[in-house]
Amino acid sequence: MFTHIFCNRLKCLLRDKENIFWTMVFPVLLAIFFYLALSNIQQGEVFQSIKIAVVDNAEYQKAEHLKTALNEAATGKSKLFDLTHAAREEAEQLLEQDKVAAYLFVEGGRPKLAVKKSGIRQSIVKSFLDSYQQTAASVNSILKNKPRDPQQLLNSIGDRRQYVVEVSGTAAEPDSVLIYFYSLIAMACFYGGFLGMREITDIEANISPLAARINVSPVHKLKAFLSSMSASVLIHLAEMFILLLFLRYVLRVDFGSKSVYVVITTITGSLTGLSFGAFISALVKKSEGIKIAILVGGTMTGSFLSGMMYLEMKYIVSQHVPLLAYINPVNLLTDAFYSLYYYDTMSRYLLNIGILGFFIVFFCACTYFIIRRRKYASL
Amino acid sequence: MYTEGGREMIVRVKNLVKRYGELLALDHLSFTVNDGEVFGLLGPNGSGKTTAINCILSLLEYDKGEVEIFGRPMRPDAYDIKREIGIVMQNVAVYNELTVYENIDYFCGLYVEDKKLRKRLVEEAINFVGLKDFKGYYPKKLSGGLLRRLNIACGIAHKPKLIILDEPTVAVDPQSRYKILEGILELNRLGATVIYTSHYMEEVEQICSRIMIIDKGRAIATGTKDELKAMITLGEKITVESQHITPGQLNRLRALPHVMEAEYKNKQLVIKSGKGANNLEAVLDFIKKEKIQYGKIYSELPTLNDVFLEITGKQLRD
Repeated sequence: MFTHIFCNRLKCLLRDKENIFWTMVFPVLLAIFFYLALSNIQQGEVFQSIKIAVVDNAEYQKAEHLKTALNEAATGKSKLFDLTHAAREEAEQLLEQDKVAAYLFVEGGRPKLAVKKSGIRQSIVKSFLDSYQQTAASVNSILKNKPRDPQQLLNSIGDRRQYVVEVSGTAAEPDSVLIYFYSLIAMACFYGGFLGMREITDIEANISPLAARINVSPVHKLKAFLSSMSASVLIHLAEMFILLLFLRYVLRVDFGSKSVYVVITTITGSLTGLSFGAFISALVKKSEGIKIAILVGGTMTGSFLSGMMYLEMKYIVSQHVPLLAYINPVNLLTDAFYSLYYYDTMSRYLLNIGILGFFIVFFCACTYFIIRRRKYASL
Repeated sequence: MYTEGGREMIVRVKNLVKRYGELLALDHLSFTVNDGEVFGLLGPNGSGKTTAINCILSLLEYDKGEVEIFGRPMRPDAYDIKREIGIVMQNVAVYNELTVYENIDYFCGLYVEDKKLRKRLVEEAINFVGLKDFKGYYPKKLSGGLLRRLNIACGIAHKPKLIILDEPTVAVDPQSRYKILEGILELNRLGATVIYTSHYMEEVEQICSRIMIIDKGRAIATGTKDELKAMITLGEKITVESQHITPGQLNRLRALPHVMEAEYKNKQLVIKSGKGANNLEAVLDFIKKEKIQYGKIYSELPTLNDVFLEITGKQLRD
């Protein structure tokens, strides 16, 4: 009997195009969208040298130290500036045409900055100039007091000492884009809720005529439910693995080195999603449309709070409402993935998986107690 | 197994009471269905037919009463009883993702585990409902009538001893309706006991060997169609299509022997006579004598609608 129900259920699920779209195609499409949108963010994070101009006149030629400092900042692989020497009028023209972020000129022996608007690039140029002027002023002031060893002063002037030691918890590079993909996987896991919901709809006689027909057959209700739920679990796990493989091998998303744990996390997530859908369906005594609305609303809210739409939200929730972070299964799932990637220790990962395990047991137990009744007050 | 009058009792319902809050859906409903019968539950929409069926099948909780099937109490876990029951729900209950064949096979498989036997039963069911040419079709591609036939096939493929059909012909074309009704009689001939609910009195009259008329959850009359018709005073109804009848003529008609009632409405003169009387000749003589212009004249014996009307004071389709 198990095989009979299981196999037919597999057929039904595989032929349900709408279901397949939402539980598999949609997450894959969203992954492609994320990939296209977020790859630019990654590129944007690479520092681009700031184009500036310097007015090359007699006064500038006299300012030897400034010339040296600017030339140093404009050479090398990760140079700060892309420097153009120009006459005053030409420099002004370049600024006007936005071809440079700012131009420098020396007036009365002091370097000055001309900008058209304020912004990050202009702030960096100003910081550079301020730093140069402060250092130059300090050196001049010390030299006036005739130090014993001027050479040592000059050697140590550029020396910066760190008083705080940074200890990294990981060998992995922090990657904010990964959180989006983790949220996507978590959301896809929770879209398994549609399958869980359908299983309940098809077994509760007060919801569908199909369920009533199954209830009058000589098959134990829970046996029928478990047989068809097993098919849903299999289908959803397969869909999740397809998504993972797509992310890993097509979009080249790096999940770190712990692939076995990634699989375990996905299985846990899938089971959480399925059991969550079944729980909502069993709990809400309303039409199927309302149940779907609640499931989608719950999943999307959970995804939002875990940072899928706005990355900072994950940190805002963790900082201000930490309890919400622990009772949001979507967040637990993204956090499990992220801790797997980012931390070398497993304690945070295990905590997340443990809480998710609790949620699975909780959802299943509640669903069982709700659907175990065998007669209905109304149909 | 219970017996009553020498016949095996398949279903016994005693004092069934079902309330939906303030509404009394079943009011101490009692009836029995004997082996080999086609038992009709006739009543208007909302009279409690489907509620009664759902209570019998242990799908619905009820407040009071007993249900026995095959002499044993019916419970949700009475799987040995359920194995012998076939149910055709009012709403079509099939999987849209499975073909006609797969749907019948799936539901049959809930009752019959032997694959070879199941294959044979499914083929028989497909032939029985006339869906041989539609085996590979998905339900969405079927017309309303064919869908109803599929619904029936899913309920009867496992050859149950008791078949319950809850309004199986709602929204069905005349051809499919005829096929369905013929099929039910054939199932009965093959040995199945049938409970058939409908608000179509013609169907119930056509196929049911015994009928229970139900209204507001109460059984108001039970018997064969002749027994039911014998319960009322109406014996004959004569209808005359005429353009004009004067009040005086109407009064003189009412004064004829055995005439219980004479009414002229919508250019139709309806004369109802008491039981045992054949008034057609007297009415024809009257029309000739009064020189009444007429179109058609026809005489009818009482229908179940007349039974329902006389007992409850309202039409069956009200």
